[in-house]
Formats: sequence, structure tokens, C-alpha cells
Amino acid sequence: MWSTLRDEAPRFFGYYNLLFIGEAFLHTLALSYLGALLGFVIGFALALFRHPRLFPILPLRLFAIAYVEVFRRIPFLVKLMCVFFAFQIAGWRGSMFTVALTTVVLSAAAFAAEIVRGGFDAVHRAQWDAAEAMNMGRADTLWRVVLPQSWPVILPPAFGYTIGFVKSTSIASQIGVLELTYVAKVLNTRGFSALICFGTILLLYFAICWPTKLLGERIERRLTTRVRPVAEPMMA
Amino acid sequence: MNYTFQYGQVVQYIPYLLGGAWLSLQLAAISFVAGAAIGLVNATALSFGPRPARIAVRAYVTFFLNTPLLVQIFFIFFVLPEAGILLEPYTACAIGMSLNAGAYLTEIERAGFQSLRRSELDAAQSLGFNLRQTVWYVILPHIVKALYPPLSNQFIIQVMTTSIAAIFAVEELTGRTYNVNAITFRSLEIFSVAAVIYVLLTLIVSTALALVGRRVFRVKAKVF
Repeated sequence: MWSTLRDEAPRFFGYYNLLFIGEAFLHTLALSYLGALLGFVIGFALALFRHPRLFPILPLRLFAIAYVEVFRRIPFLVKLMCVFFAFQIAGWRGSMFTVALTTVVLSAAAFAAEIVRGGFDAVHRAQWDAAEAMNMGRADTLWRVVLPQSWPVILPPAFGYTIGFVKSTSIASQIGVLELTYVAKVLNTRGFSALICFGTILLLYFAICWPTKLLGERIERRLTTRVRPVAEPMMA
Repeated sequence: MNYTFQYGQVVQYIPYLLGGAWLSLQLAAISFVAGAAIGLVNATALSFGPRPARIAVRAYVTFFLNTPLLVQIFFIFFVLPEAGILLEPYTACAIGMSLNAGAYLTEIERAGFQSLRRSELDAAQSLGFNLRQTVWYVILPHIVKALYPPLSNQFIIQVMTTSIAAIFAVEELTGRTYNVNAITFRSLEIFSVAAVIYVLLTLIVSTALALVGRRVFRVKAKVF
């Protein structure tokens, strides 16, 4: 097994293969990070719509609830196929990247809405009441009272959520998006051993996800240093 | 854009798809139980094990949490044959999903163990409980209460994760959807039906889990 690795490595890491893998790496990055970011913006709006104090409009609220509940409960692969065939019916002739990005954004919005809602819920009721008692408008309440207290709750899970989409985009290889998993499959069919193809991209995925996770943990520590646990945990 | 939705051709396949949903649930249950066992061993090793064991568990969890499940299964499915181990698609998926779930469940179960407070054990001791009584009346109720909501959440995720098995031609819900699509070519119709089945399936499972949790373990688990 190791001898095949040694024999193949020089050919596998040749100039054109590296170019191919590098392009795929950038596509994976763009697809997941851009998708997660756009999804977060939409998800934030959904969380606003869902909140009874910020947007006391029933139809909007019902829409937001239905959207979040439905889109969180469909597997990424099935969502991808639905979006793929919907684009096909609409006569889409563009890139598969757009199709995959749309899927990421649609599902990211649902997950982000839940994260932001968790942040809003973490703000004590009395804070909302106080803002109302001081006759602050909704935008002011959100910007000056709620958000400063919700960020520490929203930000740490947002990193885990981004990592989730880096991993989900591997499924986009199913519709032929040029990203890491697709490249591994192509190189594998070109005759390189599965070990070197899939091993390499596993490491590349790890190289994207792990730093993101570490950054998230670091930010979480920084945001929560002021809050100390009351009793000591048993097994530290 | 002139497209007429024709669900008529698809309706007859719904029982077939529901059979696939049952297989999805089975695969989810198998990988969840195996993953929970892995997680239990790992969480114990993290709490009480020697340093090398702790490092090994950390490495396993870090690796499996930071790489995609699809590629992990590809690895198991295509690389192990090179080493002479041939696996059925179903087995390869079950193993991959178990190892993946094991990493998540290690984290969850470790957090559950850590939520136990020293003062609770002190209280048990001062009441004169022996070890069996402490485990049965203090430690277990606490851990079950702490772990039930994240575990049921993980099971729901596991149900949706099984759709990846379709890529390896396992005929669970998504796999059967692919089959029907190949027969009827009513692509959007059949995939939207599959999506609805997934939504209903996970809703039913989470409601059932919440009810069981409330009745049996007195846990306040939310469905939404």
C-alpha cells in the first residue's frame, strides 16, 4: 500500500494535477463560505420575521417558521436534486456551480435562522421590556439592546455551521460541480489509486475545516471569559 | 418555461418510497447505536483513560468531525479493497456512518458526563448512598436528563444523513427515489415527494422522541 503511494506521488502531484486540485479547492471554499455568508444574511432576516416583538406580522412569521422547519428536515442531497431539476425546468444553461450555490444558500438560511433565533432568545425578557418602556423603536431595540447581547451566543455556533457546509458541498460532486470530491473521483478514474486521491482530498477538507473550528473556539473563549461557571465540573 | 407537473405517474410509487423510508430508519438506528457505543467508550477514555488513549480519541474525533462523511465512505469503499477488504455498499455506508456518528456522539456524551457536579456526589455521600445507589439514583438520572435532548437531535440528523447511502446505490429512501426517477423521468415531482416524506418522517420521529422523553425520562424536549 505504501509502495503504491511512493510510486504514484510524483506523477499525482504533477503540475496539471496540482492546478486541477487547486481550482477545485478554491471552488469548495467559495461554494461553502460564500453560501454560508449569503445564507446567514437571509437567515438573519428570517429570524427577524419569526420574532413576535420585532415583526408582529403573522403571515411573515408563519412563512419563516414553515421555511425553517421544512428546509432543516430535508437532506442536502435531496435538496440539491430538487434545485437541480428546478433549474433544468427553468431552462438554465449556466454553470452547475450556481445550482450548488443556490442549494447551499437555501439550506444555510434555515440553519442560520435557528442560530440567530437562539441569540435573540438568550436576551432576557426584561431587556426587551426595558427597551419598550424607554420608547425605543424596533430598529433601536435590535441594534442597541438585543444585538450586543446576542452576538456572543450567535457567533460560536456560526463557525460550526460553516464547517457543516464545507462538508456538505462534497455532495455537490453528484451533479458535476468541479470541487474537491469531484476531482478525487476524476483522478481515480484516470488510474490513480483511491488511496492517494481520496487521502489527499480528505487532508484538504481537513485543512479547511480545522482552522475554521479553531478560530471559532478561540472566539468563543474570548467572548465567554467574563462568565465563569458557578460550580466546578466534576471531570475537568 | 412551460412545465406541467404530473404527480399522477408518481403517486403509485409512494408505498415503494415509504418502504425506503423504513430502510433509512433502520440504517440510521444501526449507525446511531454503533456510534453511541463508540462514543461511550471514547467519552470514558477521555474522562478516565491514560494520556495516549486521550490523545488517540481526540485525534479520531478531530479527524472525523472535520472531513465530509461522503469522502469518508468513499475512502472505506474504494481504498479498503486495495488492501484486500471488500465491502458491500450497505456495509461500507453503515461502517462510515457509525464512525462518523461516533465522533459526534463522543463530544455529546463527554459533555453529558461533564455536566455532573461534584456537589451532587457529595450530597449522595452525605446521605449515606452506596455506589449502586449513587449510580442509580444520582448519576444516571442526571446524565439521562442532560443527554436525552442532544441524543435525539443527533438521531434526527442521522436519519437525514442516511440519504448519502444513495450515492453508493443503497436502496433507502433517496436511493429508491433515484430508481423511480430512472423509470418515470418525472424528476422534480419524485424528488419533491421524497423531500416531503423526509420532512414528515423526521417530524414524526422527533415528536415520538419528545413524547418518550417526557413520559419515560421526564425530559422537556422540544419538537420545534
